[in-house]
Amino acid sequence: MDFRVFDRARRQVGPLQLDLVESYAQGKVSRREFVRRGTVIGLSLPFISAIISACGSDDGGTSGTTGTGGGDTTAAGTDTTAAGSGTAGGTIKIAAQKPVSVDPVAMQDLGGYGLVAQVFEFLVTLGENGEIAPGLAASWEPNEDGSVWTFNLQPDVKWQDGTDFTSEAVAATMDRLVEAGQSGLKGVITAGAVDSSDPTKAVFTLTGPNGNFPYLVSVFNAQTPITPVDYAIGTTLDQNSNGTGPWKLVDYNPSTGARFERNDTWWGGQTLLDSTEFQFFDEIGTMVTAMQGGAVDAIVQFQVIGGDALLNSPDFTVLEVESSTHRQIWMRCDTGQFADKAVRQALAFTFDREQMVETLFRGRASVGNDHVIAPFMEGYDDTVPQREKDIEKAKQLLADAGVTNLTATLHATAAFQEIPELAQLIKSGAEEAGINLEIALESLDTFYGAQWCPAEPPDPPCSGAAELGIVDYGHRPTPDVFLNAALFTNGVWNSSQYSSPELDAAFKEYQAAVGVDAHQAANKKIETILNEDVPVGLPYFYNYLSGNSTNFQGVRVSALGQMFLEKASQV
Amino acid sequence: MTRYVLRRLALSVVTLFLLVTIVFLIVNVFPDDPGRRIAGPFAPQETVDLLNERLGADDPLPVQYGRLLRSTVTFDFGDSFQFSRPVGDLLWAALLRSAKLVALGLFLTIPISIAAGVFAARRRNTSADRSVVTLGLASSSIPDFVSGVTLQYIIGVKLGLLPVLAVPPRGAGPLEELEYLLLPAFAIVVVYFGYIARMTRAGTIQALDADYTRTAVMKGLSTRRVLSRHVLRNALQPTVSVIGTSVGYLFGGLVALELIFNYPGLGSLIYTAASRKDIPLLSAAVILVGIIYMVFTLIADLIIAWMNPRARLEAAGS
Repeated sequence: MDFRVFDRARRQVGPLQLDLVESYAQGKVSRREFVRRGTVIGLSLPFISAIISACGSDDGGTSGTTGTGGGDTTAAGTDTTAAGSGTAGGTIKIAAQKPVSVDPVAMQDLGGYGLVAQVFEFLVTLGENGEIAPGLAASWEPNEDGSVWTFNLQPDVKWQDGTDFTSEAVAATMDRLVEAGQSGLKGVITAGAVDSSDPTKAVFTLTGPNGNFPYLVSVFNAQTPITPVDYAIGTTLDQNSNGTGPWKLVDYNPSTGARFERNDTWWGGQTLLDSTEFQFFDEIGTMVTAMQGGAVDAIVQFQVIGGDALLNSPDFTVLEVESSTHRQIWMRCDTGQFADKAVRQALAFTFDREQMVETLFRGRASVGNDHVIAPFMEGYDDTVPQREKDIEKAKQLLADAGVTNLTATLHATAAFQEIPELAQLIKSGAEEAGINLEIALESLDTFYGAQWCPAEPPDPPCSGAAELGIVDYGHRPTPDVFLNAALFTNGVWNSSQYSSPELDAAFKEYQAAVGVDAHQAANKKIETILNEDVPVGLPYFYNYLSGNSTNFQGVRVSALGQMFLEKASQV
Repeated sequence: MTRYVLRRLALSVVTLFLLVTIVFLIVNVFPDDPGRRIAGPFAPQETVDLLNERLGADDPLPVQYGRLLRSTVTFDFGDSFQFSRPVGDLLWAALLRSAKLVALGLFLTIPISIAAGVFAARRRNTSADRSVVTLGLASSSIPDFVSGVTLQYIIGVKLGLLPVLAVPPRGAGPLEELEYLLLPAFAIVVVYFGYIARMTRAGTIQALDADYTRTAVMKGLSTRRVLSRHVLRNALQPTVSVIGTSVGYLFGGLVALELIFNYPGLGSLIYTAASRKDIPLLSAAVILVGIIYMVFTLIADLIIAWMNPRARLEAAGS
């Protein structure tokens, strides 16, 4: 270790950053985790590099994205193709899901996220390695306990109408998000949380310490792009597209697609492509066909099932992003046949997780352990024993609980990605342990409205949920929303009606943890409690798949359907 | 004839009224909260209530029904819940696209099918006749989405002869637009060829056996004249009727085909509106398809009346 460099670096940082630096030096966190965590708490990349160099460590990669495939596979977010050096000019045509909403505050779907992110930017954006990186905020730093975060804004940023971008827009955007009850920020900030007295700084005062706050104003909290001060709730992208981003919306048709042209005054420089065209689709299968047939140059998302043609094509570059997208098999903990923890554990012991990963994703997923902390998340604790398929143990648990001839209905959506196939795999595994599951595949409306989280009775939320079902959860970089909404007592998506004072306390501890040790300790508690109580079975986290024709390079994508094209070009 | 047309128009108004009532009942069967849908699951209830008030979603049902009736008369359905745009704008664009696809589909289907039907009828019980009948049966039993996917894969993806999607690039000329529509139009041909050809064959056989045809032949008229003046005029009446009723379906019912070729016509618009509970858009689209049904059925009846003087006289007398 180069102590001279190390000591000089240590003197430049605050207590939170110092804790991380020392944890890294002591080997408590890996290099990958150091980079990820350091970025979150505001360490600059040169500083991180200096520390890594001083410590002389080389224990892992920095990329959160991996993948191999028949086609040319790159880690999304990793700009491996020397973007910026390609052929200037041209248009890229992109196959994207038809957006349900393009209201930046209220949008809930990947189609909307992808479009809005072309025009409006986030304080914190997607970095080269799939991590977070400076966006409209050039840098940020927390106070000593992580309850106040200061974001220093990029200089010389202008809205497309030529006016200056200032912290006033950040404050107004956050107030709108608070008013709309945005799920990630709910309980974290309140109205008026942002001090915009200095136009170059946005100072957030949180309701309490939060070590993950930059994630909540990043691309990974998709409703938080910064919009102008006068951007009222309910305004949609096509009604007001006065953003700061690299692209200007020139045409939008909700049925067919959208066209963007280069924003020549973008603060980040000039894009190589002249324009981009998003073509809307209802079906992912049609998107794959369009890609195969050369009708589009890139596809925002596709699935392994039905996507073989692209995965095996030499003309296609697969962009694969490690994500926390997963399915939860919820079991009612408060009433019915699964109220006994042993019965829930028994069902979880019938899952053949490796088989699921192979059958449903050809290995492009990681095995889950019945808790919501994905292996790539900061502070993931791999010492919690992995639950494996064990039919004998499942039978024993059922016998101990005095349960015989368990019969239940497994509710799931009829036409949503791999869920029907997953239901079949769960049923066949359960049968081996003598559990008879009837699969009820339902329309999206019936499933979400009547089985997963019915509006009635309203209190507590989801108390009208079915006894057993499979529900989908999209990617989040941290487990906050999964825990807060699905597993916290009276959470808004708590279909298992799980209520554990231990988990609630561990979650609070996790949210407040800003130091490395506290963070890891809280994670371990959460993993252990959920793995033991099994309010939800969680068999896997699967990777997000996207890609582009090999005629283009420099395309990057997040696991939330946002395609970043500012560095894209023709080969 | 004028009296017949007026009677039919009056009947259409009654049918339209019934259609609007049925549409209203259907879209109100399922409980829904459009304000919540638009504002998102975490929006405060006050925001949702305000939205519902603005959209008129919490008005009493009779008020909503009256509004739908008024909208049908003025054809102003307000804004789409989902897209925050006038329903009319969305509808007319989709209608125009559907019209192009339907026109091309029928332009290709009708001459081929009628020619095949007449060809088979004139060679009754020969191998040529049996070939047409068998081919027609086989093709009409294939659902449009199956033929669509097959054509798309073979002609579009594998051979690369035609575009795999139906929407042409921006600024495309009419010929290029036509090229993009060919694959879905071929899928329509596959489905309707058998139906129309068999209908034409049966009508032609009946007409060829009729006394007036025998008389025309004995009068020494040429085969061509007999066919055009006496046989086809009578033989094609059921065919015209079938085509008339099929047009309405083609406008609104090609959901799967439109999804496969990513063609934003009326079918996929109805699908989107139904799946997203966009009540103004759904109501307007269904009513529009109903009107198209009525218009084309009326046109078919008028053509039949024109082709058959007896029908015209019956219509005038009734």
